[in-house]
Amino acid sequence: MRPEIKEYNYDWLMGKTLKAAAHVPMGTKKETELTYRYIPYYKNIAKTFIDAGDPGVQALKMMSRYYENILTAKEQGKKICATTFCNSPVILYAMDIVPVTFEMLTAIGAMIWKRGMFDYMDFCCEVGMPETSCSSQRGALGAILGGLSEKIDLVICDTPGVCDTNANAFAFASEYLNKPFFQLNYPSSIGDDRSQKYHIDDYKEMIKFAEQHTGKKLDYDRLAEALAEVDKQDAMIADLEDMLMLKPTPVPPMFNLVLYAGRFCFSGRREYTELLESMVKSAKANAAAGISGLKNGEEKLRMFMCYIDHYTLDVNFNHFLEDRGIAHVGSILTRNFRDNNKYVEDMPGSAYGIDTSSPDAMLDTIAQMNARLPMVRSIRGPYDKKGMWLEESLVCAKMYDADCVVYNGTPGCRNTWGMVKPFARDMEKHGYPTHIMYDDAFDDRVESWEATRERLDEFFKIRGLL
Amino acid sequence: MNVFHDAANQVEFDSITQWKKEGKPVVGYTCSYAPAEIFHAADILPYRLRGIETDGMEVGDTYFGPFICSFPKCILQLAGKGKFSFLDGAIITPGCDGMRRLDECWRKAGEDINGIVPDYFYYFDVPHKSENHGMAWYVEEIKELIRSIESHFKVKITNDKISAAISEFNKGRRLLAEIENLRTRDDVVVSGTDVFAATVAGTVMPRDEYTKELKKWATALKKRKTSLSKDKHRVMLVGSISDEIDLFELIENTGKAIIVGENLCFGIRYEGNEIKEDGDPVAALAEHYLGASVCPRMYGKYKERLAMLKERIVRSQAQGVIMQNIRFCDLHGAENALFERDLEAMGIPCLRIEREYGPHIDIGRMKMRINAFLERMESSEKRAAASAMSAEVSVSA
Amino acid sequence: MNIVAGFDVGSLTSKAVIMKNGKIIGSHIIKSKPRPKDSADAALAGALADAGISREDIKYCIGTGYGREKIEFVDELVSEIKCHGKGARWMMPTAETVIDIGGQDCKTMRIDKDGNIGRFSTNDKCASGTGRFLEVMAKVLNVDIDELGKLSAKAKDPITLASTCTVWAQADVIKYINSGVPIEDIGAGINTAMAGRVAILVNALKPEGDILMTGGVAKNIGVVSTLEKLIGKRIKRARKADPQIAGAIGAALLSMEKMAS
Repeated sequence: MRPEIKEYNYDWLMGKTLKAAAHVPMGTKKETELTYRYIPYYKNIAKTFIDAGDPGVQALKMMSRYYENILTAKEQGKKICATTFCNSPVILYAMDIVPVTFEMLTAIGAMIWKRGMFDYMDFCCEVGMPETSCSSQRGALGAILGGLSEKIDLVICDTPGVCDTNANAFAFASEYLNKPFFQLNYPSSIGDDRSQKYHIDDYKEMIKFAEQHTGKKLDYDRLAEALAEVDKQDAMIADLEDMLMLKPTPVPPMFNLVLYAGRFCFSGRREYTELLESMVKSAKANAAAGISGLKNGEEKLRMFMCYIDHYTLDVNFNHFLEDRGIAHVGSILTRNFRDNNKYVEDMPGSAYGIDTSSPDAMLDTIAQMNARLPMVRSIRGPYDKKGMWLEESLVCAKMYDADCVVYNGTPGCRNTWGMVKPFARDMEKHGYPTHIMYDDAFDDRVESWEATRERLDEFFKIRGLL
Repeated sequence: MNVFHDAANQVEFDSITQWKKEGKPVVGYTCSYAPAEIFHAADILPYRLRGIETDGMEVGDTYFGPFICSFPKCILQLAGKGKFSFLDGAIITPGCDGMRRLDECWRKAGEDINGIVPDYFYYFDVPHKSENHGMAWYVEEIKELIRSIESHFKVKITNDKISAAISEFNKGRRLLAEIENLRTRDDVVVSGTDVFAATVAGTVMPRDEYTKELKKWATALKKRKTSLSKDKHRVMLVGSISDEIDLFELIENTGKAIIVGENLCFGIRYEGNEIKEDGDPVAALAEHYLGASVCPRMYGKYKERLAMLKERIVRSQAQGVIMQNIRFCDLHGAENALFERDLEAMGIPCLRIEREYGPHIDIGRMKMRINAFLERMESSEKRAAASAMSAEVSVSA
Repeated sequence: MNIVAGFDVGSLTSKAVIMKNGKIIGSHIIKSKPRPKDSADAALAGALADAGISREDIKYCIGTGYGREKIEFVDELVSEIKCHGKGARWMMPTAETVIDIGGQDCKTMRIDKDGNIGRFSTNDKCASGTGRFLEVMAKVLNVDIDELGKLSAKAKDPITLASTCTVWAQADVIKYINSGVPIEDIGAGINTAMAGRVAILVNALKPEGDILMTGGVAKNIGVVSTLEKLIGKRIKRARKADPQIAGAIGAALLSMEKMAS
């Protein structure tokens, strides 16, 4: 890592940047415009969120709060736990543990910082991680391994059985930093009693592990409160999902990103509820007026991202969609599989419900919910089996009336690169033009954004979509 | 010995042809977490799927994406070219992400190329943890596998038959452990290449024949006097899956090294340990195959694996460790880095290399590095000898 | 007369060095020919002419490099890493870390005070951290490979290049040329991408003491200065001989040691 990078605490750097960004729109319009002149590097990204109106500002506040929690954890006597984006933070919050999600932090850094997360990603390779391992962990992890972040106290990852390279990054971190490690392990099937029992057993052991290493007991009353909040949030998510199905959809492309980012960071917390309220309000206003959520008002194409989005500098991907009039009807990360969503009707047995009547019911709820987080739900088993990736993608593409399907991931994703070619072929057989992007969602060095953009444009043009 | 090299260097060899002539089925498996004894108990030949003899990648690359390890791609390529036409079945295991996707890629290739998917095609789920419910899950998986074999092949797999299979496999395990002992002596009489060929052969040959041949060979080895280790560096080879006899040859043909141990997916790390012969045979199999957590897919068990590796280095008197990982094998790549950190700190020279598998092996580059590593070992051994000598001098003074 | 020779038959260039009593009396660099034997012959002929001696005067000869096994007249073969370490130490007796970037690979190594190799690492397969990468890019830019290094200093707004793959990077470079980006900015981006790849290898080795760079790429000041920034340490330049012939010098030095023993 270059020496000047080692001079800064990365969490502090990002935390302060986001805090400042959240303050920018507090002044008058003129003051905000003036501020932009003083932040040339951050102008584009700040403006993108601020221009999205109140939901964008709420999102900035939320992310700033996320860092604030990390930065103040130690003085509040809380332990910090490194964890995966697809592990619901609800239990951790109920135990007063502060989650640090590598993938979220990598995405934030990649979007905000001109130099991207390159130095941190490369630092992981310097200490021995293969350069082929997934960039989504390597970014934030590089800062942690380099001692440039708040110290983590324990590691809980939930990708063994689903994503090797992800689980491997957490196992490596635990060994390199000599911190206790726990894995939630996922069988190759979902929805049956046997796998549900496995999840519950796993959860019980995870709670024991977390209690042992933090000295805190899981407070079921707090958990019940958090789940009640999740229940409220899920209802609003279902509202947004319904509106995504409208034509044109009143939901702006940006909402997708913040919808799942909020869920991964603050599920069951007030911060996320406020963000959702703002998003629902804004989308409903568009719906009432019968207008598209796209800035230019015209929806030319409906695109379904069957895997993840693109997170590099200035949310370029978002601008690309806005410029071309492409409605983003969600990605694998958007869907939560709560039983109040319309898309689950076509996938019997795929959804979870919330029951807070007893500790056991809550554990069951948590296990059901966690098993349905993105990636760990539908790419755990063979992609063409019941309830897995193909079925989910076909149902979503149909339900949201997608004109095309686009795969985007990272070269580190052994799991999807192992079968995305036949998967894309199957999607095509069902009538969906499907494009595989060969870039890295978090690292522009693999394929420059300009090249990625050209390839997407080429796809839209050749397939007669735009 | 030739019988082992024949079996280890060819996808299809005499014993398989003979087995098939007798009308008995062969089932391929992909991973060392698959309990081969179950098939033996049903008079089915368990055949560990190999990637050797691949001479192109047009089938492998059609279904797998570009960022995938070349080992499963080679298996698919061979399947696509009809090289596994002797298989009556195959079971796919989620040993790693690349390997588990062989399930879909093989089936999808079968939609385009007729007859390449065996009639019996089974997905065998192996958990990533061996404690409590992990072990329970694995035991249930074995039981389900038994039921499925019984129903497809119209056979009955009783506990007695499984026990007999365990006992037959254990004979081979004991013999391999005896041979492994020979490799720990000051004068090693057997090359690493030969031992590895014999181990790989054990994963593809009919077991009764294998035990008989191995017994003969072990007896002959014990009578050998000529040392192969004189003036050579004793190295251990660890890391990603390998069934490549030529990788061993590449190292030993430098004339400067002898491989005194390996810790590879094909290899002695399992075969050296016996399975309990009393009690419930399925539980014993599960304990053996899942319980040992021998590879990095079993997350959070690095310290156990390091301890095991250290113990083997000490026992075999290895002076250096060559660690390889196939490109895109993140699991072994990262673990090798940790091994390197910890072993180098103990003064054991390590070479860490990333490579392609099998037909794609870059011989020139590999040779260059291995030679340089052996030269490095030479100078560090000389230094160690010199400091030992000066220590002796100062003691006597 | 104690005259010895060392060869380094590489994938891009072949080098021969002739030494007498520890001094270089002749050296020659040629572009490698399809057959390693022809490369060795031509390099030797050039070095002999340079030294003004004939082939029979050479008492011992060691070969290294990719094509080393195909050279008929060498007495011994030694690995490149050992030769480069040896040569680097001769060029700079205080060097403890050596970075060598050749045509087909990049090597970094630690050497102790006796010139013994300690830990070393090499890049893998992909050409993006090697001289080949720069050669391909220079060709696309239509500049001389030696000129490429100087572009960095003139750049105002260097491009960021997708550095993982030479083929893709090439496509990117063509695109930048077509869209009128100044050649200096593209060149600087190329040098930075190259330095970035090498920095990972160097940092992984935890460089200590004086760092010396050898191999043809050591002549590219753009790569060297960016690399210095990335690793946060000065890279020393050897003035005693051309950094490109370090491997051949090492081979010649080992020949001398052999003669002495």
